[in-house]
Amino acid sequence: MRKLLAALALLAALLLPRASLAAFRVVATVPDLAALAQEVGGEHVKVTSLSLHTQDPHFVDARPNLALELSKADLLLLVGLDLEIGWLPDLLTGSRNARIQPGADGYLDCSQFVQLLEVPAGQVSRAEGDIHPGGNPHYLYDPRRAEVVAQGIAARLAKLDPANAGAYAENLATMLQRLHARRTELEARAAALVGQPVVAYHRSMPYLADWLGFELAAHIEPKPGIPPTPAHVARVLATMKHAHVHLVIQEGYYPTTTSELVAGQSGAHVVALPGGTNFQGGETYGDFIARMVDLMLEAGP
Amino acid sequence: MSILLPLFLVLLPGLALAQEREEDEAPEGGEAPDAPEEPEEPEAPSSDEPPPPEVSPDELAAIEAALAADTAALQAAGTLPPEPPPAAPPGRGGGGSMNPDLSFILDVAGAAFSDPEPLQGGAHDPVVDGVNLQQLELAIGGAVDPYLRFDGNLVFAQFGVELEEAYATTTSLPGRLQLRAGQFLTRFGRFNVTHPHSWSFVDQPFALSRIFGGEGNRGLGAEASVLLPLPWYAELLASETMANGAATARSFYGGQDLGVDSPLHLQSTVALKQFHPLGPDWALMWGLSWASGPNPTGRDNRTEVYGGDLLLKWRPVTRASHQELRVHAEGFWRRRQVPEDVYSDTDAFALATWRFARRWGLGARAEWGSMLTNLDGDRVTDELDPEWTNVRTRLSGQTTFWPTEFSRLRLQLSRDAPAWRLDPVLAAFLALEVSVGAHGAHSY
Repeated sequence: MRKLLAALALLAALLLPRASLAAFRVVATVPDLAALAQEVGGEHVKVTSLSLHTQDPHFVDARPNLALELSKADLLLLVGLDLEIGWLPDLLTGSRNARIQPGADGYLDCSQFVQLLEVPAGQVSRAEGDIHPGGNPHYLYDPRRAEVVAQGIAARLAKLDPANAGAYAENLATMLQRLHARRTELEARAAALVGQPVVAYHRSMPYLADWLGFELAAHIEPKPGIPPTPAHVARVLATMKHAHVHLVIQEGYYPTTTSELVAGQSGAHVVALPGGTNFQGGETYGDFIARMVDLMLEAGP
Repeated sequence: MSILLPLFLVLLPGLALAQEREEDEAPEGGEAPDAPEEPEEPEAPSSDEPPPPEVSPDELAAIEAALAADTAALQAAGTLPPEPPPAAPPGRGGGGSMNPDLSFILDVAGAAFSDPEPLQGGAHDPVVDGVNLQQLELAIGGAVDPYLRFDGNLVFAQFGVELEEAYATTTSLPGRLQLRAGQFLTRFGRFNVTHPHSWSFVDQPFALSRIFGGEGNRGLGAEASVLLPLPWYAELLASETMANGAATARSFYGGQDLGVDSPLHLQSTVALKQFHPLGPDWALMWGLSWASGPNPTGRDNRTEVYGGDLLLKWRPVTRASHQELRVHAEGFWRRRQVPEDVYSDTDAFALATWRFARRWGLGARAEWGSMLTNLDGDRVTDELDPEWTNVRTRLSGQTTFWPTEFSRLRLQLSRDAPAWRLDPVLAAFLALEVSVGAHGAHSY
């Protein structure tokens, strides 16, 4: 009898509504958004990222435990612009969580806050590669845009969790101040990059180029998501020699063999940039952009 | 032919590596540099607020009071957060259309068999020498309203159109509960619920066509599923579906529909699915399934199928890699009541696939099916498969080339050895798949 009661008590404990867990749960698709939300939310939120900074956000595995994370979320932050389309929709349906379904207040597509680049005009087709019809989704490489996103996150947190709205506003102000100081310092240090021609692997760098003022002279991929072909790589190499390109930049999750080859033949340096904030390792978004700029400056012109 | 398989498996990785090297070689010369990006400055925001969610009048009053108090307090303190900066222009970010997501998936395969009557049981399997249209699938999906979404799959074959799936799924029920209703593939095991687009081989494992039928187990009905309140992913589901259909429920009513006079005349399916991440790179998923339904051999005679499935997957995410290794195994035990006896048989398959480069993968599959025995353990003749009087084994190997994630070319060789035939059936397939339209989401 006592065993039965204990079993029932355990069952009841397991079945108790989640309301007993006080923290406001935020789930972000990528670690950059998680890091921003953590700074804005502070101690009042519990933030989880569905992917690691070493993962290509286009191709995250839809692991069922991610649906479990989503099932507990009060707010979902996504990059949008179809970046997560290959894996997020099924997880969202599987989460059975009405609070974060598209259209609900707990579903925050952060691309809505950002002035986007590379928005295709007119008809789009996959003959152009794996393009994003809504615009280039890699806007979190630009801290100015991240600042706007942080404001959007803070406003949504305040709306969904009004009891802590004051704390969110304060955290946001502190965070914006810190990030602004940091990026101004980085901009000054990276002044040498302004106007420099740079080659990138994937079309993920226009926002970084927009922020730091360098020019994207060519991409190793002939079209987004299409691996390089010899003829295209030859053109890239010719461009690099002609324009005196010193830097080839790419995320750590892309292969480096081709980049190393063209860099070696043209006297440039390959810089493997972090794909995002090492949120799980305790890094902040400001640390991430500083690390990115440091890596580019270390390679030097 | 049997020499060809190892030869082929040895040659293709070599070809792949040759291509990788070629891709990495950068010949001299060339011109036409890419145009540099035109940077734009981000603009300052304005405001956009969606209407508040629906609540009861009492709740609304309480919320309004609380919000007014909070707002007053914040304004008094001078710390009200800024309004969300400006929303996107209409039509951006996929929000500009009420049309459902549509995609077409075409599967065609060239085939060569060593026997004019191969035992290909799947409805999408290549079955004749020459070129086979496996299917043209139209996948449709979209939100119905804030509470439901719709998914459908229409399959166009050369001689008609078939409704494979069309169902509504709830998205907003409390208690982590989900309901589905319409016509759907039952979630018995792991393979049954999939369409050819997510298969690792050109054809269906014969366990599926033997037990459920060439189309896999599906029917009109309803399903309830729940995420169990456990620290790991555990999903429990139960469904009730119509037990008729020679290609979809052949061990139940199948082609001889005796009608539904009681709930016992429906097929019941229960399954438990669990997932365990073994670190960031490895994961294990496993499930137990049970299906029970009436069969047409006599009043209240029933068929039961028990199944177990397992997936072990390795995909490195903590370093740059395109590699992926999957091991997937399923076993089925079927038990059929017939007048004055019970027949049973066992089927199983195991497959391993290895994506060793961004565009290339290899796979191997082994399948086994027992003979049918009665309660005394004696061999009996199966009315559904009169030819199947002994053990059957089939071995298959494939290599796949993916130009992008929207197209795929697959070469497969197999050796099918039904013990009741004099010679094994050798088969070679070269299959092409292309898909256009909305980007489908990949389930795990």
